[in-house]
Amino acid sequence: MIGPLATGLIVLALLIAVVSLLTTAMNKAMGNVLLIALGVLEVGLLVQAGFLIAALVGGEGPAETATLIGYMAGTVVIPPVAAFWGVGERSRWGPAVIAVAGFAIPGMVGRMLQLWQGMA
Amino acid sequence: MNGRDERVDEPVGERGVSPAAGASPVAGASPVAGVSPAAVSSTGAGPGRVLVAVYAVFALAAGSRAAVQIARQFDEAPLAYSLSAFAAAVYLLLAVALARGNRTLALAACGIELAGVLIVGTFSLLDPEAFPKATVWSGFGSGYVFIPLVLPLLGLFWLSRRRRTA
Repeated sequence: MIGPLATGLIVLALLIAVVSLLTTAMNKAMGNVLLIALGVLEVGLLVQAGFLIAALVGGEGPAETATLIGYMAGTVVIPPVAAFWGVGERSRWGPAVIAVAGFAIPGMVGRMLQLWQGMA
Repeated sequence: MNGRDERVDEPVGERGVSPAAGASPVAGASPVAGVSPAAVSSTGAGPGRVLVAVYAVFALAAGSRAAVQIARQFDEAPLAYSLSAFAAAVYLLLAVALARGNRTLALAACGIELAGVLIVGTFSLLDPEAFPKATVWSGFGSGYVFIPLVLPLLGLFWLSRRRRTA
């Protein structure tokens, strides 16, 4: 698992969350910027998942492999679902949905880092 | 993304999916069914969308955690792991019920959730031995910043609000 990539993903997700909250606070619907940022986040999460799978196949990996895979699958699924669910709502509550995803991803990536570094 | 992007910067009042969403005082008009896959009922529109999203995230979190625990070490704490799986199922049920506008089901799920977090939370403090491994509901959801305790209350509040305005 790559530390810098994970860190970047956490920062990007938090940024998305903050911008989403601001958009909600300003009473605006989803903008393209948020969608593009979510797309970039998703690509980064997929790259991370690719590296993780490669490492796991190569025999590397923490004791909690199953949990790690669970988190990995979750992080890859959340942004597209959030985008779909958020875009469908043409009000301030659309970006609020994105904010939920934006806060969930850093938690999950952070847990993945912990699990990965937990291996001796 | 799915063809609705072109209306991105329109103000709130212009949205066409469901008249029931937002803070309109006349909210509650029945949503137009079948407009798009995202056209949802009154309980799943507006702020309800966010509730559905949060419940879905919790269903995913609790569900995958329970799946891993049950698959790998069910014997260690069968009660705690079964409860985690049950909690995940209730969250999922609630998310679907809110999204589809099934108020009765949503109310029931909220009630189960509130009872669960209160009962399990109390027992986990009184008798930690019975819950050697944490569930979402242990310690009133303290492992998840008490969100499991707040969620059912938010859900009930939202449902009662929708009933008044409907």
